[in-house]
Amino acid sequence: MALEHLPNYLLSHRKRTALSQTEVAFLLGIQSGAKVCRHERFTLDPGLQTALAYEVIYQRPISELFPGLVEKIQDDVRARAKMLAEKELRSNAHGLTIRKRQSLAAILSAEFNNQLK
Amino acid sequence: MKNLRSKYIRVLGVAPSSYGCGFAVTEGENTLVAWGVKTVKGGNKNARCLSNVGNLIAHYQPTVIAIEDARSKGSRRSSRIRALIEKIVVMAKDEKIKVKRYSRKQVNLAFLSDERGTKHALAQYLAARFPEELSSRLPPKRRLWTSDDCRMDIFDAVALAEHCLRNGE
Repeated sequence: MALEHLPNYLLSHRKRTALSQTEVAFLLGIQSGAKVCRHERFTLDPGLQTALAYEVIYQRPISELFPGLVEKIQDDVRARAKMLAEKELRSNAHGLTIRKRQSLAAILSAEFNNQLK
Repeated sequence: MKNLRSKYIRVLGVAPSSYGCGFAVTEGENTLVAWGVKTVKGGNKNARCLSNVGNLIAHYQPTVIAIEDARSKGSRRSSRIRALIEKIVVMAKDEKIKVKRYSRKQVNLAFLSDERGTKHALAQYLAARFPEELSSRLPPKRRLWTSDDCRMDIFDAVALAEHCLRNGE
C-alpha cells in the first residue's frame, strides 16, 4: 500500500543529531525553540531561509527533510500547469506559444523530474 | 526534483507499560521516523495513555498499528495493560487503521531466533540496527533488584513496528 510522506522529518533528524529545540533555534538564528516545535509538529511551514538553514544543520537536502511539503508543492504546480496548458491550447500556435506548451508539457511529464535529479 | 512518493507503509508500534507507553514510527526499510516514551503519572493512566496514542495517530497517520498480543498463552501483562491494549485496538478500528498483534515469543523468534531471548538482548540488537537513533537510549542491563527502565518501552515499540514491516503487513 502506497503512502503519502509526512510534511517534514525534522523531528527525527533533530533527535539523530542529539540537539535540543533551543539549540536548533539558536543555530537557525531565531529567538526560541517554540518555532522549531511548530515546524516539527507541522503547524507552521518554515520560510526559505529557515529551510536552507535546516539543510545545513541536518546535512540533508531539503527534499529529504520536507518530502511531504515538496510533494504538495509539486502537485499544486502541476495542477496549475495543467490549467495553463489547457488555456494555451485554445490560443493561436505562434512561436512563443509552442515554446510555452513545450515548457508546460515538461512540467507535467515525469521526464521533467528525471532531468532535475 | 525526484518523485518522492513513498511505496512503503507507516507503522506505529505501541508498547504500553507501567510508566505509560513507548512508541515508534517506522516507514520503509531502515527508517525510524519517531520514537520515545509518553510517560503518565497519577490516576487514570489508561485514559491518558489512550489520549497520547490518539495524538500519535492523528500526527503520524499510520497505516498499521503494531501492538503486543496480551491474549497469547504465557503473556504476563497486568489487567490494566490488557484493558489498555483492547482500548487501543478499538480506537484504531474506529480510525480504520489495521491492527497487528504480536506476542513476545513471535518478536523474539524473529529478531533473536530464540523465543526465550531477553528484552535486553533484543534492545542491544535494535540499538546495533539503528545506532544513530537508539544506541544512546539503550539502558544498562537490569539487575535482579531493579525495575525495568522506562527506555525499554522504546525498544519494545521499535521491535513491534519492525516485526510488522518485516512481515510485510
